[in-house]
Amino acid sequence: MGKHEEELARELQRRGMSRRDVLRIGLRMGLGAASMGLLLAACGQTASEPAKDAAADGEAAAEPASESIFDITAGDTGAWPKSAIAEPGDKIEISVGHTWDAVFFERQLQFDKLFMQRHPNITVKAENTPWGEYRQKYTAAAAGNAMPDILYTQFSWAQETIRSGLYIALDDYIAKEKDFNLGDFTKPSLVSYQYDGKLWGIPYDEGPGNLYYNKDLFDAAGEAYPDDSWDLEKLKAVAIKMTKGEGPDKIFGLGELPSPGDSLMAPNYLFPFGAQYLSEPKEDECLINKPEAVTAMEWWEELRAKGAVPSPADLQNVAWPAFQFGKIAMTLQGSWATPPIQAGSKFKWDIAKWPKGPKVHTTFSAGSAYMITRDSKNVDAAWLYMNEYLSTAGQTYMWASTGRGSPSRLSAWPAYLGSKFAPAGAKNVEEAMSQGIGTHDILDQPTGPRVTQAAGPIWDLVVAGQKSVKDALDEIFAAVDPIIAENRM
Amino acid sequence: MTNAQPTPITTPPKGKPKLGGMARKEERSFYLFILPWIIGFLLFDAGAIIASFGISFTNWSALSAPSYVGTLNYSRLIADSVFYKAMGNSLYYGLGSVGLGTIVSFLLALLLNQNVWGMSLFRTIFYLPSVVSGIAVAILWIMILHQDFGLINSFLAWFGIKGPGWLVQPQWAMPSLILMSLWSAGGSMVIYLAGLQSVPTHLYEAAEIDGADTFQKFWTVTVPMMSPVILYNLIVGFIASIQGFVTVYVMTNGGPANATLVYGLYIYRTAFINFQMGYASALAWVLLVVIILITVVQFIVARYWVYYEGDLKS
Repeated sequence: MGKHEEELARELQRRGMSRRDVLRIGLRMGLGAASMGLLLAACGQTASEPAKDAAADGEAAAEPASESIFDITAGDTGAWPKSAIAEPGDKIEISVGHTWDAVFFERQLQFDKLFMQRHPNITVKAENTPWGEYRQKYTAAAAGNAMPDILYTQFSWAQETIRSGLYIALDDYIAKEKDFNLGDFTKPSLVSYQYDGKLWGIPYDEGPGNLYYNKDLFDAAGEAYPDDSWDLEKLKAVAIKMTKGEGPDKIFGLGELPSPGDSLMAPNYLFPFGAQYLSEPKEDECLINKPEAVTAMEWWEELRAKGAVPSPADLQNVAWPAFQFGKIAMTLQGSWATPPIQAGSKFKWDIAKWPKGPKVHTTFSAGSAYMITRDSKNVDAAWLYMNEYLSTAGQTYMWASTGRGSPSRLSAWPAYLGSKFAPAGAKNVEEAMSQGIGTHDILDQPTGPRVTQAAGPIWDLVVAGQKSVKDALDEIFAAVDPIIAENRM
Repeated sequence: MTNAQPTPITTPPKGKPKLGGMARKEERSFYLFILPWIIGFLLFDAGAIIASFGISFTNWSALSAPSYVGTLNYSRLIADSVFYKAMGNSLYYGLGSVGLGTIVSFLLALLLNQNVWGMSLFRTIFYLPSVVSGIAVAILWIMILHQDFGLINSFLAWFGIKGPGWLVQPQWAMPSLILMSLWSAGGSMVIYLAGLQSVPTHLYEAAEIDGADTFQKFWTVTVPMMSPVILYNLIVGFIASIQGFVTVYVMTNGGPANATLVYGLYIYRTAFINFQMGYASALAWVLLVVIILITVVQFIVARYWVYYEGDLKS
């Protein structure tokens, strides 16, 4: 058997893929019959079995091989909500702006295909834009009153765009739907999309920051895996202990440290010590240079002094998340980091809760939503799409069954926890939300980007060893205070 | 004394001299050739440029209706420390990259103007980097400049020198970008090469007869004859570099500590991250004025060092 087929087979087995998955991936890779036989043999199959499988699977055999790693029917519970809104009488088209990675966009197209089968008069045109270009593209579209019917929106710019009148309020539609239970949504998930007593978007995910850990590195170091007994002192001690080596082979205990240039910083690095960045939720007072905040940031910086976190140079040219490359023992990431880690890692890993601090046990909670834009020409059809896309069935199909995780609806969590694509410790993600550890007290006011832009460059000098923590935090206070003055009005 | 009539004084015809048939044909060709650019400019650029001037007097997020604020955006610039930082960074980058680029590309052109075997191949090799796209070059140079594994620091290590963190230390980040800008020196090198090949050989022959050595021929013949080309490359190169954006966005995103926050990146952030289109437009117009001023200064200074063959000096 070829070495490559063996490696591929091990990888596919590790990901728990079915025979059909293996067959499709093989076809997509252009493997010939001999290689396919080897591959399936490595997965414990005989070469003749998949051929029989494919022949029996009329749909799969008749259609060109899907580009998706997910089976189109997997995760489709069929429990789609019945809407009070009438189907369009004539053929119409709705457009939806997304910013998925290439792998997940294929899942999006699968959803749209099934949606169009259920709604023959609605054609869905999905626009996928790279993350780096997304805001530029749709800001220009908004200026030209040419936004798509439905638009992806992240928490960080939701309030700015809601207050600018880009979207329509959804309360009237929600009130008409018997099946639509707002109480099913996790509380933090709705925060960024409410304004003026109305709901302007429906979140699809809201997830906590989790502690991802490399089991192979822990095993090699003889350390016990992180669990609920861990506190931040333990995290720090283990991170320092597991740091070893030099140069390209160096192992880092922890993936990152707090930076005031990060809008998600406070819940994980400051709240546990009784400190804050800005006063929440109004964000109208800067508290970053208070003694407790200075002490907390100095406490974290000791990890940098010990070389336990990668330097900016170590992270150059490294794709996100750096944890996937196996040199970092622990990292703080949202559950949305799961797909790239699954795809890129060659080691065993799992998820634990972010450890508790001396004062409180918190971690950031953040997410994204979809909104119907003011430029929509087919608002009813857009609602029909949103209602299904973000229903329990829709969230199960898109985010739960695929292991991407952190659905905004509580009712979709069981499917996530049972997904073969989710990590074994996925229950920690759910518990962080249900036990109130995850908090949405992150910088999500319209001033947020300007605050982080002002603070980040000052903190860079601490990272470069050219400024003390105290001096930097005083400077950040001076730079941030005038920006958040507008939140006091 | 005679009553001779005064001789009528013929005055030269005012206005444009009448063109001959061939000249008229040439004039028509000129307008035909520039027509595609003019149409493209009018269709895609002119409206946006005019609109941005109007927008610079408004408070506009691009998401809702603008409101007129007079010159507030321009007066706000005065108190904006990041504006000065970004302008300073762009001027630093412009001066550094154009200065270094001019010297290197001119020297390369001199080398590639020799009559030796395989010269076409060498010219192709040196020009080739210029055709690679900006993003690919940026990624490549991140690797070349890597503190621990980069080509440059590995080379320095042979001599026992520990190279700096080129892109991650504030004091080294901008020099790194200037160094990287040499990658595209092939473009101006080709222009210099074309200029060198049009220098008449009889000037060198005359200089040799007068006893000039190699350096004297270079200084008294090559440099003056090439001075219009040098001026062109200085002006075009400076305008391009002061508007630099893509490589900085990809390589450093303005960091560390705003050390590489160039003006174009600051405009982008202001417009598309902070949703302040009015202020971003004001920033853009200030940049235009700065570019015009610098270009005018370059033309004024050029009177003292640029030589145009056949030009009449007063």
